[in-house]
Amino acid sequence: MEPIISIKNLRKSYGDKQVLKGINLDIYPGQVIGYIGPNGAGKSTTVKILCGLISDFEGQVTIKGHDVKTESLTVKSFTGYVPELAELYDVLTPMEFLGLMAQLYSIPDEVATERILKMMAALGLANNTDQRMDTFSKGMRQKVLITSGLLHNPDIIILDEPLSGLDANSVIIIKELISKLAADGKTIFYCSHMMDVVEKVSDRIVLINDGIIIANGSFHELQQQQGDKSLEKIFAGLTAQDSLSDAAEQLRTAFRN
Amino acid sequence: MNNVINKFFLWVVLLPAPLYHSMGVNELQLKAILRTKLIMDDRRPNSMQQMKRGKEKVSNRATLLTMFFSALLGCFFLIAFSVGKTYTVQLSIYFSMYIFLLASSLISDFTSVLIDIRDNYIILTKPVNDKTIVVARLLHIMIHICKLVLPMSLPGIVFMGINVGVAGTLLFFLYIMLATLLTIFLINALYIIILKITTPQKFQNIIATFQIVFAILLYGSYQVVPRLVNKMQLENYNFANLGKWVWIAPSYWFGRAWQTVMDSSYSTGGILSITLALFAPVISIYVVVKYFAPSFNQKLSLINSSSVEGGSAIPKAIITSQRRVGFISQISKWVCQAGAERMAFLLSWKMTSRSRDFKMKVYPSIGYMVVMVGLFLFQKDRFATFGSEADRIPILITGAIYFSSFVLIIALAQLTFSDKYKAAWIYYSTPVSSPGLLISGAFKAVVVKFYLPVVVLAFAAAMALIGPSMLPNLLLALFNELFICSIITYLTIRQLPFSTQQGNNSKTGSFIKGIITFIIPSVVAVLHFFVYKIFAVVCIFAIMSMILTWLVQGSIKKISWGVIKGE
Repeated sequence: MEPIISIKNLRKSYGDKQVLKGINLDIYPGQVIGYIGPNGAGKSTTVKILCGLISDFEGQVTIKGHDVKTESLTVKSFTGYVPELAELYDVLTPMEFLGLMAQLYSIPDEVATERILKMMAALGLANNTDQRMDTFSKGMRQKVLITSGLLHNPDIIILDEPLSGLDANSVIIIKELISKLAADGKTIFYCSHMMDVVEKVSDRIVLINDGIIIANGSFHELQQQQGDKSLEKIFAGLTAQDSLSDAAEQLRTAFRN
Repeated sequence: MNNVINKFFLWVVLLPAPLYHSMGVNELQLKAILRTKLIMDDRRPNSMQQMKRGKEKVSNRATLLTMFFSALLGCFFLIAFSVGKTYTVQLSIYFSMYIFLLASSLISDFTSVLIDIRDNYIILTKPVNDKTIVVARLLHIMIHICKLVLPMSLPGIVFMGINVGVAGTLLFFLYIMLATLLTIFLINALYIIILKITTPQKFQNIIATFQIVFAILLYGSYQVVPRLVNKMQLENYNFANLGKWVWIAPSYWFGRAWQTVMDSSYSTGGILSITLALFAPVISIYVVVKYFAPSFNQKLSLINSSSVEGGSAIPKAIITSQRRVGFISQISKWVCQAGAERMAFLLSWKMTSRSRDFKMKVYPSIGYMVVMVGLFLFQKDRFATFGSEADRIPILITGAIYFSSFVLIIALAQLTFSDKYKAAWIYYSTPVSSPGLLISGAFKAVVVKFYLPVVVLAFAAAMALIGPSMLPNLLLALFNELFICSIITYLTIRQLPFSTQQGNNSKTGSFIKGIITFIIPSVVAVLHFFVYKIFAVVCIFAIMSMILTWLVQGSIKKISWGVIKGE
């Protein structure tokens, strides 16, 4: 099978600081990829390259056979992106904001309006579609963002910490949604720090640290390599230099003065 | 899209849609982006409104308000036509004001309105091509500038229309357009310079400082210019005393060029002015588009949020001088009791220095005060009505103590607001026995910071010029003001320092409250004026004032959790 996302020898530097030091990764349709790593490992940079936000990188990245650098418009048209921070024009209403998104994806107005209303209703925002988002809670904003990333029925969905701020019920909805979309053949690139969620939703887990991939496989495979532990423990074992319980101990003893 | 003006502009700029299409622009996406940007502009307070205290949170008419203010400014420019005899002089002054004010109003908009960092996430991740984005951005800037320029130049155009006929007015309009281009270049150049000499992180603060200075200058010129025009014999003014230096001012090129064309008297100077007026803006805009624009957007996107683009700009930690902080904490030990009160004192001290929000609200009013006091001093004839020659200096110094308390009142009114109001959880999660201590500490910080320096100056001046005999009067004035401010604080402040979102205070009656807080000190000052020569009365009143202040301060500390309105 042809990989839907193919990353070959990807490198990226900011000034002297090399953030990605040769990433090689093939992702196949219908997979949920859990992309994890400590802060500053290069996760966000990878995501931005996949979304076409950064184009001055070395190496080759193709999505569905289209080069991200040269055919970024084509790539963007079948990619949905849910950014990490709640970046949206919050003086707009969800209807106005999502309407803009739909127009940028060239979705016909009637189709878009119906879709937006259905999706908002499913996320419990049916009564908020015409309120300005500056009064919205973090969870409500996140729901609008998720909707904006899925609106054009993309083949590849890139989620950067999509559950932040969501209540428990919404988390269940989104986790269900991820499995269902994957079953429909969509590819999901899931970045998160929440190991328990990644452990459950991902078909394959890619762990990067300091710009290189240090683990790549299903949770089961990782357990076989690293011992029968939770993903959290595996993550710590692979990325933490010092003992984490020592750090906790140091914190505790700081009171003794 | 709820107003006609935006609809109209959108219609106009989209007229050449086929042309855009042939350039490779997706006109449907272009329209969608522009429409959204205009809606957002309409809901965002502009730079002029940011200065106002207690603004309405939901503003749907920002565009109309901006245009109205611009038109008012435009009327103000007409003062230029009362100076000198020739249009060269009048138009030069007109264009000076025009360029200056346009630049001042546009300067902040370039970062806050026109370049929006969120575009990176929201628009760039969508299948929109670069040309569409560039054209959308250019058209948005154009519409934004038109909204300012058209109403701003309208009064001038009407005036010219009445006085010089159609040809002269058209020529005038052409020069307005050219002056606008030149102004855009000036702003760009200024941005480039600031970005060269400072870090993007400090940029916003520098721009905020510019805005504050702008507001003060505007207010000052509003006060001073009409007086100058009346007092000095400007009817016959020409630029003779400036000599060749007059050519430095671009506004002179426009004024001279207009006159030259209208008179058809093409001297060397006339032709030079036409050349400069025509080519300087065109060349400068070319420079902007060719050289500045590419790196410009990139740098500007760093300004708003340097962390977003990953490690490309690692923000330098701002290291505050420890020595200064040490000095402040020493003062806090003198005036506050340990614990919550001192913590509130230090917090307020730092917040008032570092919060851009607070500075934008309070510092302009300090500037207005300086302008007002300056005017008061220079109006000798009016001042002479206050008592005899010998009384003037004491009255002036005592008056300064009363006058400068307005700054204190304004600062106190801002004290409960912050854009980081949610951080006020710290007061609630810590075991603070009496929230009054927090208010008292914050009150003291503001007094020490915004009032004490003036008071110290006034005392020093009085000691130097008059001697210790002034002391009772000074103390009376000082403690009257402190008492008034304490009682206002005690009665009106129901929120903790920096715990409320700006704009939530638009309750009915806040205007009346504002008026009263300004009238009371004035009334007290007048009453003081009647007794200031009677030494014993002044002494008794001063002591009473001191005791009252002390009592109210005690009451402020005892304000209980019951009366505090949380979020």
